[in-house]
Amino acid sequence: MTPAATSFEEPRRIRTPKLSRLYLGAALDAARNTISSSGNLRVLPQAPVLASHPGITLEQVEQYRALFGGEVFDGVHRRSLPSVLVHIAAFPVQMALMSQDDFPLQLMGMVHLSNQVEHHQPIGAEEALQILARAENLRAHRRGTQVDIVVEIFSADVDVTADGGTQPLWSSVSTYLNRGTYLAGKPDRNDEQGPAFVPPTKTASWKLGTDAGRAYAAVSGDYNPIHVSSLGAKALGMPSAIVHGMYSAGRMLEGREPEQAGHRWSIHFEAPVTLPATVAFAAEEVDDHTIRFTGWNPRKVRRHFTGELII
Amino acid sequence: MPAETPVRNAVIIGGNRIPFARAHGKYAKASNQDMLTSALNGLVARYGLQGERIGTVAAGAVLKHSKNFNLSRESVLGTPLDPATPAFDVQMACATGMEAIGSLANKVKLGQIESGIGGGVDSISDAPLVVTDELRAILMEANRARSVGQRLKALAKIRPGHLAPQAPGVNEPRTGLSMGEHMAITAHQWGITRQEQDELALASHKNLAKAYDEGFFDDLVTPFKGLTRDNNMRADSSLEKLGKLSPVFGKDLGDQATMTAANSTPLTDGAATVLLGSEEWADAHDLPKLANFVDYEEGAVDFVDGAEGLLMAPAYAAARMLTRNGLTFEDFEYFEIHEAFASTVLAQMKAWESEEFCREKLGLDAPLGSIDRTKLNVAGSSLAAGHPFAATGGRIVATLAKQLHGKPGKLGFISVCAAGGLGITAIIEGR
Repeated sequence: MTPAATSFEEPRRIRTPKLSRLYLGAALDAARNTISSSGNLRVLPQAPVLASHPGITLEQVEQYRALFGGEVFDGVHRRSLPSVLVHIAAFPVQMALMSQDDFPLQLMGMVHLSNQVEHHQPIGAEEALQILARAENLRAHRRGTQVDIVVEIFSADVDVTADGGTQPLWSSVSTYLNRGTYLAGKPDRNDEQGPAFVPPTKTASWKLGTDAGRAYAAVSGDYNPIHVSSLGAKALGMPSAIVHGMYSAGRMLEGREPEQAGHRWSIHFEAPVTLPATVAFAAEEVDDHTIRFTGWNPRKVRRHFTGELII
Repeated sequence: MPAETPVRNAVIIGGNRIPFARAHGKYAKASNQDMLTSALNGLVARYGLQGERIGTVAAGAVLKHSKNFNLSRESVLGTPLDPATPAFDVQMACATGMEAIGSLANKVKLGQIESGIGGGVDSISDAPLVVTDELRAILMEANRARSVGQRLKALAKIRPGHLAPQAPGVNEPRTGLSMGEHMAITAHQWGITRQEQDELALASHKNLAKAYDEGFFDDLVTPFKGLTRDNNMRADSSLEKLGKLSPVFGKDLGDQATMTAANSTPLTDGAATVLLGSEEWADAHDLPKLANFVDYEEGAVDFVDGAEGLLMAPAYAAARMLTRNGLTFEDFEYFEIHEAFASTVLAQMKAWESEEFCREKLGLDAPLGSIDRTKLNVAGSSLAAGHPFAATGGRIVATLAKQLHGKPGKLGFISVCAAGGLGITAIIEGR
């Protein structure tokens, strides 16, 4: 990932929005589009958006900890925030970017395909931040159109628009798919199936109740109906509510991220985890610096996600 | 202070337990305190300890009500022992009993106490149910409220879903896998067959039944609530019967799943105690000296991401303990390896036979070697007797001490695995 690139337009400064308002807007937008079937734009907005964040509160840290049952966040021995909590802080800015009128893909029903994070420096609680988000790489996918949302997080006191750029504390690329919209054409037909999934030896089992989506929503503010209600999920084409992808990421990383940061990780989502669920999980040490993760449905032997942490 | 204070022998004088009962059966209405008190009463009666001030009583339970914060002390107060007998609770999952007894033996060796009673108790039938974390948070908030209004506001948050009681978890907190699921993975990695497991289970039942028939347990077990023998025991079992059972753990291994209800220990209620003392104390009270508690070693393994099997800690503890004492398996007359699952015993034995495991994991030049099956669990073990978690250490120590009595200098080996990747091994010596 490159540092804040200067080739982009001057970022548009926004206030961090409330996710609930964005979802309402997205739903209205979806309804409007269904009615008018208006032609979509085919280019990504050039300007990144930039928002100030007052800092993740200790209360949010404690809520996050309670969700995953991690070790006590005492501010001394454990003070560097988990990457997924940083993602949670930045998520409304991503959403604001994707909710802009000039964003070519509809927000509602967008599928999270993967996430790659580089956590360069530790970020503490109550630490004021700047969040920069931009869209890149609109491209074809066999089931629609995919786009990368790049997020970079800086401390509040740096000039992110300075020439030459500034190294972010944390950066991520989230890849989303808009199903059924072929703005970038269709890729060459690729029927090549990957090798059949042979599950590794499981090292843990996650029992997720019907409320797992609501529990993550309560911590993240991400009350996307696909995660919190069975009806909402059905309206969006899922048999029942599915767990947030980043819940799986948070759980896979819990207790494994180094305090001094300087690590990177990725997660690639496959079959969604429909709730309630039992997810078989494996953490395998690849070498001294690398752990590989796999989550799957043990009954259907279908893979939910693969991930990797490199320290 | 002298440069080196010689330690004295810690003598195992005897033991007493109540028969172990399958959960939700004979002891369904007995509490942990009822059972521990009863086991202690039997010990007091057998060794004439009425009015005696014991150095310390150490016992514990794995599944414990918060009201039982002083379980051992409260149980002591219910016996004819001198009320000036101190007591403390121990909790080390299934190794609770071993830790209680081992720590008391150390106190005797150092001359801190002249006598001690160690043991444990567990009840699945009377396990504590707790409210959900959500309901508990609301009730605590209501408790802290300073006005009726605040209290009602807190209580209004209660939702029907909060009301379901929570049974104590049998899953490992950090993996969400049950002990059986963990063991199924280890068993599969060590290539342990269904046949070997069923054979070990059958031997456990046959050996326990034989020991009962020969009267071996006559001075080790006191009847309780109409039960005179462990009611999980199936003297008439056969390999054919065991072979018909379907796997209950490791089912995602498909046709390679090997662990059934018969080659896994059942959930059980029961209590066991062991009386220890110095030689002088035993002599002064004209009590038998069955064996010496020589040494014990605690172990733990990194099981969370599967680097080692959950129940393999005794494999490591044994290596350190044997090296420290300059002993090999050849030096032992009897082996008591707790049968959490048949495959637990078999996996530990395979590990000790493996040159690679002993070299890479235990840091030994040569494998520890194989264990003669005719010396293993000769009076039955947990698969037949059952396994009320904290009571198992007391059962094993008393059983092995009695086997070694009259065989001065002959050694017995103990291995007990426990949740959390823990384990204990111990050595006792006949006299």
